[in-house]
Amino acid sequence: MITVKTPKGCKLKIAGKPSLDLDRLATPASVAMLPARIPFVKPRLKVKIGDRVKIGTPLFEDKRRPAIQFGSPGGGVVDEICFGPRRIIKAIVIRLDDNEEHVQFTSLTAQDIEAATRDDLIKAMQDGGVWPFIKALPFRDIANPEEPVPGIFVNLGASEPFLPQSQVYLRNATDLFESGINLLRKLTPHVYVTRPPGKAPVVKALKHLITHTCKGAYPVDDPGVQLYHSKKSSDENRSWYIDGQDLLHLARFFETGRYPIERIMVSGGNLAHANKHFITRTGIPLATLGGCHDGQAAAGARFIVGGLFRGYTSEIDSYMGFYENALTLIAEGDEKEAFGFMRPGYGKPSSSNTFLSVYNPSDIKTDCGMHGERRACINCGFCVNVCPVDILPQFTYKCVRADEVEESLANGLLDCVECSLCTYVCPSKIELCARFKQAKEAYYKELT
Amino acid sequence: MMKPIRNLFDAQRRHFAQGGKFERFHPLFEATESFFFIPGLSTQSDAHVRDSLDLKRFMSFVILALMPCLCFGIYNVGYQSLMASGKYPALLPAVISGLQTVLPLIIVSYTVGFFWEILFAIIRKKEISEGFLVTGLLFPLTLPPTIPLWQVAVGISFGVVIGKEVFGGTGRNILNPALCGRVFLFFAYPMRMSGDAVWTVVSDKTADALSGATPLAVAALTPSGETVETALTSANYPIETLCLGLYPGSVGATSVLACLIGATLLIVVGIASYRTIIGGVIGVLAVGYLLNLLASETSMAWLSLNPWHHLVMGGFAFGIIFMATDPVSSPGMNASKWIYGFAIGALTVLIRVFNPAYAEGVMLAIIFMNLFAPLLDYFVIWQRLRKRLANV
Repeated sequence: MITVKTPKGCKLKIAGKPSLDLDRLATPASVAMLPARIPFVKPRLKVKIGDRVKIGTPLFEDKRRPAIQFGSPGGGVVDEICFGPRRIIKAIVIRLDDNEEHVQFTSLTAQDIEAATRDDLIKAMQDGGVWPFIKALPFRDIANPEEPVPGIFVNLGASEPFLPQSQVYLRNATDLFESGINLLRKLTPHVYVTRPPGKAPVVKALKHLITHTCKGAYPVDDPGVQLYHSKKSSDENRSWYIDGQDLLHLARFFETGRYPIERIMVSGGNLAHANKHFITRTGIPLATLGGCHDGQAAAGARFIVGGLFRGYTSEIDSYMGFYENALTLIAEGDEKEAFGFMRPGYGKPSSSNTFLSVYNPSDIKTDCGMHGERRACINCGFCVNVCPVDILPQFTYKCVRADEVEESLANGLLDCVECSLCTYVCPSKIELCARFKQAKEAYYKELT
Repeated sequence: MMKPIRNLFDAQRRHFAQGGKFERFHPLFEATESFFFIPGLSTQSDAHVRDSLDLKRFMSFVILALMPCLCFGIYNVGYQSLMASGKYPALLPAVISGLQTVLPLIIVSYTVGFFWEILFAIIRKKEISEGFLVTGLLFPLTLPPTIPLWQVAVGISFGVVIGKEVFGGTGRNILNPALCGRVFLFFAYPMRMSGDAVWTVVSDKTADALSGATPLAVAALTPSGETVETALTSANYPIETLCLGLYPGSVGATSVLACLIGATLLIVVGIASYRTIIGGVIGVLAVGYLLNLLASETSMAWLSLNPWHHLVMGGFAFGIIFMATDPVSSPGMNASKWIYGFAIGALTVLIRVFNPAYAEGVMLAIIFMNLFAPLLDYFVIWQRLRKRLANV
């Protein structure tokens, strides 16, 4: 067993962490698929407004690899297709029927999976719309089945506290999880399972599957961090990964022969109506997921989908995306603060020792404010102290700014796990991580 | 209480906005407003939450850490002035006399420096950076109290314009701007920056004024055969006085004790690198003990000096704590910070001992190592990247 430790990282004392309680949400009137929120995909629509679809009917395919299908999250009528600037497809909204129909794919037992060939399984996953759950490092695009697989990391962690916790979604699902692992073993013999930090009881039942453990704070359990600290050679850089919950969907897809729509989602943040886990389905409206109380969202709340550090801002009338299982509501933080820089700051979250909040044991109410203005980099090195993959963000940033591709790569740009901690701590408020992501994306586009 | 100020800014904003009467002065308006209020900006891209620390608070801590040095400096300048004039140096008169000397230096430094900062910000259409808040206070603290105000203005102008702005402003400068200004004055007006007469303000010219030599000058003039320690003691500079700082010298740099209070604060909050500071101390001690080995009966007295004296004499403590740790002009890697600090300490002693033209070595040592900081980083980063498994 490999133990990955990051002595760095920062403890995030952010108020509004969701509890481990689990509730069931009622079925909404409509659900949606958000193609624009799936990175790198170039969608080609296969439905039009008014079409009847079943759960799992392909809504669109990826123009780059047309074999990859994306199934419908609900059965009913295509109600609306929203386009954004430059004809990006923002949402495909489906009004649900009372009795939803399923597309029936072939279901496979454990023996069937054992007997099936790798290509058959990949074909089945692509047709069934579940292949996109498997992604590839370092660009975090959907895995390309034609490329060699050095290994697959299964991520059970959610050290960012605002994502669904594995001990919740693994309850009563350990067998399913194990059959998922067997499935992955058909793709590559090297399947790695990371045990999240902490002592979750459910994970103990899966002890025989665990290959990696980790100690530390966010984002120590990220597959990119695990890979960086355990790889023996550069050949492993293009490893694949899958989220623990998504692996359950894969397994459920083969077990039932149906496109899996059930999700365990989480609603958090100090302005959320309920801070806990919910059993619900993919693509539900944000308002349904604890965002509102009596149809009203808390005033000045920002809707963040997909986690505080890697998520995106969304509108209240939008839906959860294909990959996203977390909604966080915190204050927009656009109020001016008098003499803010000289206050003792017992209630101001910071990873530095410059506020009295270092002595504050409780979680601190946090908002989306910048808490300062953009300045030039003064080389304070705070970003180096938090980077989980030993990048020197301040120097790499300069390489990236100067368009020095070779030098950026030598500095480990592609090892960046996009955790945004460097952006979080920067006292000059430089958007380091966003810039790295841009640079990675530009490089990826040149490669493909 | 803040409401009227808030309203005042809100009412005046339109004049400074695009198309307003004073559009050009927007950076000035912005700087003033952001002094009173942290602007209500919210995050636009990933990492929806941000640390509460910003550059203003970062720099404020350096100012806070300089306060012991400043306060003691004011008292000491007054004390030395009263002593030299043959008056009894009681606390209050000493402070008043010190304020009369030191305040004009600080006011001139800030006013002239801010003039340049604002000018460059307006031309560049950029915000005014907080970096100058520190430079503007550091600079006068390194000067002799008798310096004419016009030289303060010239020095800070050189430091800000040539030391910083021509490179692109805060964050892009190669040299420490405050030190750069001081070095300029040192070479341009040596009469006013060195010698025995400049370190004490003598207000009463008619009185039988006694202005003393600095401990470094005393040490440098010790004839061979005698020890520096006895020379210092007979000049009334025992090591306790040197630590406390009650002797003629630069305005704020004499007291090792005050510097240490500042250093503790900066290290605890994580703003100054302890690596640079400890590296510097090790450098001084290492070279000091090495020189002890070379000392003989007939060699110069400097060589046999107990190296701990180097730590408490002159501006070494002030320089290594407040100047060498400037993050912009010092290297960024931890390993290079050790080397950088060590080299500053070593060079300080070497300049003091072997270069009779310059009594104080720390200033030149830091400026010299500023130039080498990028090179140190280059090699340390190169070493570090060699160990990385390639990912392309």
